[in-house]
Amino acid sequence: MTWLIVSREIREFYRDGRFLFGAGLIVVLFVTAFLVGFEQRKNVFSEREVAQQLDYDDWVNQPERHPHDAAHQGMHVFKPIPPLSFVDPGITNYVGSTQWLQAHRQTEVKFRPAQDATGLQRFGSLTPAWIIQMLGPLLIIVLGFNSFSGEREQGTLRQLISLGVPSWKLLVGKALALFLGALLLLAPLLMLAFWIAFGDVQAGDRYDVLIRLGLLVLGYLVYLGIYIFMVLTVSVLTPASRISLVVLLAVWIAGTILAPRVLVDVARMVYPTPNQVEFNAQLNQELRKEYTKAWKEHFGVEDRWGTDVPLSRWGEALQVDDQAGYNAIDRHFGALWNRYDDQQRLQEFFGFVFPMLSVRSYSMAITATDFSHHRDFAVSAEQHRRLMQNLISSELVEHADGQGEHHFDYKVSKAFWSRIPPFEYAAPSVLFALQRSLNSFAIMCATLLFSFVFALLSSRKLV
Amino acid sequence: MKNFLNILHNEWRIMVADRSLFLVSLLLIFLLGYALFIGFTATDVREERIRELEVQQEQKLSATAKQISLIESGREMPTAFSNPLNPALLGSGQGALHAVMPVSPLSPIALGQSDMLPDHYRVSIRNKTTFMYQTENENPWNLLTGRFDPVFVLVYLLPLFIFAVSYNLVSSEKEQGTLRMQLSQPVTLQLLMTAKLTARMVPVMIISILAITLPFLILRGTAVTASDQLLYGLVAVLIVLAYALFWFMLALFINSFGFSSAGNALILVGIWAFLVLVAPVLLNVYVSRVSPAPSRIELATETRLITIDGLNRYQELLSSDYRHVQESSMLLPKDGRFEVPERLQAFYLINKSVDEKVGTLLADFETRLFAQQDLVERFGFVSPAILAYEGLLSIAGTGTRRYQHFTGQVNEYHQQWKDFFEPRIISGLAMTVADLGKLPRFTWRELDSGVVLIGSLMKALLIFLMVAVLFLLGLRNFAKATDIV
Repeated sequence: MTWLIVSREIREFYRDGRFLFGAGLIVVLFVTAFLVGFEQRKNVFSEREVAQQLDYDDWVNQPERHPHDAAHQGMHVFKPIPPLSFVDPGITNYVGSTQWLQAHRQTEVKFRPAQDATGLQRFGSLTPAWIIQMLGPLLIIVLGFNSFSGEREQGTLRQLISLGVPSWKLLVGKALALFLGALLLLAPLLMLAFWIAFGDVQAGDRYDVLIRLGLLVLGYLVYLGIYIFMVLTVSVLTPASRISLVVLLAVWIAGTILAPRVLVDVARMVYPTPNQVEFNAQLNQELRKEYTKAWKEHFGVEDRWGTDVPLSRWGEALQVDDQAGYNAIDRHFGALWNRYDDQQRLQEFFGFVFPMLSVRSYSMAITATDFSHHRDFAVSAEQHRRLMQNLISSELVEHADGQGEHHFDYKVSKAFWSRIPPFEYAAPSVLFALQRSLNSFAIMCATLLFSFVFALLSSRKLV
Repeated sequence: MKNFLNILHNEWRIMVADRSLFLVSLLLIFLLGYALFIGFTATDVREERIRELEVQQEQKLSATAKQISLIESGREMPTAFSNPLNPALLGSGQGALHAVMPVSPLSPIALGQSDMLPDHYRVSIRNKTTFMYQTENENPWNLLTGRFDPVFVLVYLLPLFIFAVSYNLVSSEKEQGTLRMQLSQPVTLQLLMTAKLTARMVPVMIISILAITLPFLILRGTAVTASDQLLYGLVAVLIVLAYALFWFMLALFINSFGFSSAGNALILVGIWAFLVLVAPVLLNVYVSRVSPAPSRIELATETRLITIDGLNRYQELLSSDYRHVQESSMLLPKDGRFEVPERLQAFYLINKSVDEKVGTLLADFETRLFAQQDLVERFGFVSPAILAYEGLLSIAGTGTRRYQHFTGQVNEYHQQWKDFFEPRIISGLAMTVADLGKLPRFTWRELDSGVVLIGSLMKALLIFLMVAVLFLLGLRNFAKATDIV
């Protein structure tokens, strides 16, 4: 009987234009988003690979040169683009893509794509994830707002109940029909799964991508499921379709438009972060302290790079200076990034009430486009820079320091350059993503359960 | 006219009685107030930071002046890497000055790009890539979400409040059966609807305008009533009025088809979702396709190649001996001349050539972005939300154009700075206290206010045009529609 209800509901969707119109519009947007995202990804992807290879080739082929000057040339490393970033680019537009590994201090990952776009960018980006997160719930509301209230207005609800249809079956049937609608919405995503997993991605990564896609579909089904039960509950509890619609639209706007921005403010108040100027000032202060300490310990002097340390110890000094800075740098960047994490966790937690917040976090983690993935890249790029620096300093200690005043005349042989390996970044596996998304997934499931139980309870008061 | 006023009067009585208008107004005032609070706080933080930077800068300059005179009189000994007499050092990290873009008095209206793009750069003799790539420290998740500023409430939420009071102008009367009764009086449907709409329009618009303007007048009275800012403010008010009117007229137009209340609500929210959520995003896709930003990867590669080239070209200067580090006599000037270490000269020259080559690439980025913004201006008419947003952003001084205007001026200033130091570095002149007073300072030139005003005014007028069209279409529908009743 449940299937009878389902098929009847679906027929109903088709008869009035709502479904065709709404879903049609969404599918058109979807396809556009896919094409745009996929093309961009492909272009940038190959460009980055080529650039990084060229970069390393140039590094290895340097002429004989003072190693510290070579470190001024440095190496560029480019953040790889995760295969599913075109489904959900997450924060990609708002973080850098390129890191220049150079002498001296830790450099940031530069070039945020958002810098090269107009203010219009701040309205959002046309991506599949954005469409499902923003417009998916709206489609469900449009389809389902009158599922009970409409029948009540037409008088068919009483007839149905008098036939002995249990109210829970009616609820499940209607929910299933809406679920099928939602699945139809996600179908393009699934189809693309196969297209990509067996086309563009390297063989070794195919399973990884497939698992991620499966998780994405699961997550979005849970997200849309929450809205399905919410829509049905409201439709049962409100006296008229008009009121049901208005209530649901208000809930949608509050949850997808209003809440995310309010919670940004809340998160910033609870976990404030320093601005650029403050951050740099604090970091510099701390660095000065560390440097002074290290120079005092090793060379017994207060002044960094003063006249008291002879040129024959400059290689050593460089080593000491670098090492002294690492701790302070790690501590400061670590603290800032942990703050970002805290801010995100707090907002994610409000997914209990506003599911958009948890699904967004979940989706970004699964597609490897959230901050934790970015951080992972930034940290390993910095590790590579330190490896480069350490090798260079020990080279200087071994050879240049002996030359005293002619420290900067020293030129290292070409063979040295290839002792610094190319930067090969292994993106974290799906397990890392799972770990990052566990929280938000649990929150979504709890909300789903809650909305299901609530719908079930309210369906007992059908008539 | 008398009928019109009568209807108006009665509608107000009803709305006061059922409290709907009261609730809507209260919520609107609350949201706008909160958004303004966010806007003012963010602006205060920026202003405070700029003040701090300026204070720090002046302190540092006077400390440097003091150090120079101490060294000149032989009471202090400089070190190799922190020697204010050395122009190559003073022109780079040690003495670099800030170029700052001031905060506009009306910027609390829209935070715009201010949370992402820096409003200050520390300009030095090094190449542009060393200081121009700086960005604000902000959680990318927050940047992605956007802030709760007044422009958000006005562009996204105000239309929804307008729908809340006007989505069922006809349908509710019809559903309650009062429409026939009303029309049995000597009034036309057009008059009735216009009056009903006016009854809602007037209070909502007055409230939104007052909720925005009063806090400004109270908190920033003197700044915003300065002559040009007053004009800016007036244009902002016009934009808000036009934008609100647009949504009222859209409600009137949709009402004129005589759908059910639920149908009206659905269609209106659908149109809202399209115009406010989807259209800007689509336009953004279009704009970035037509005028795509050049490749940052290419820029990175190019920068590196130029650096390599420089390292090769100045190999000899770079490997010069570094005796001066050990011999303090070399750290002091002789007859006003200062021997700038060849290695530092080499770095200056490398930076210079990086600037020359990268400059054209960077200019390409600016041109493309400029072209993108042009396209946004040209095709903004696809949605009043885009027009209103862009208009308010340029009034608030947080839009793309002003930031580009700033980077343009920073480029000029960078050139002046280098022009000042280059002869000193190349021919080895020691820096003096008098030189510090002659350091080029950045002076901000504001965007041409005429251009900003006319641009924003045009946007308001365009929305007014849409308003007129919708109004006429709505009235025509009401005139023809005998079947509504």
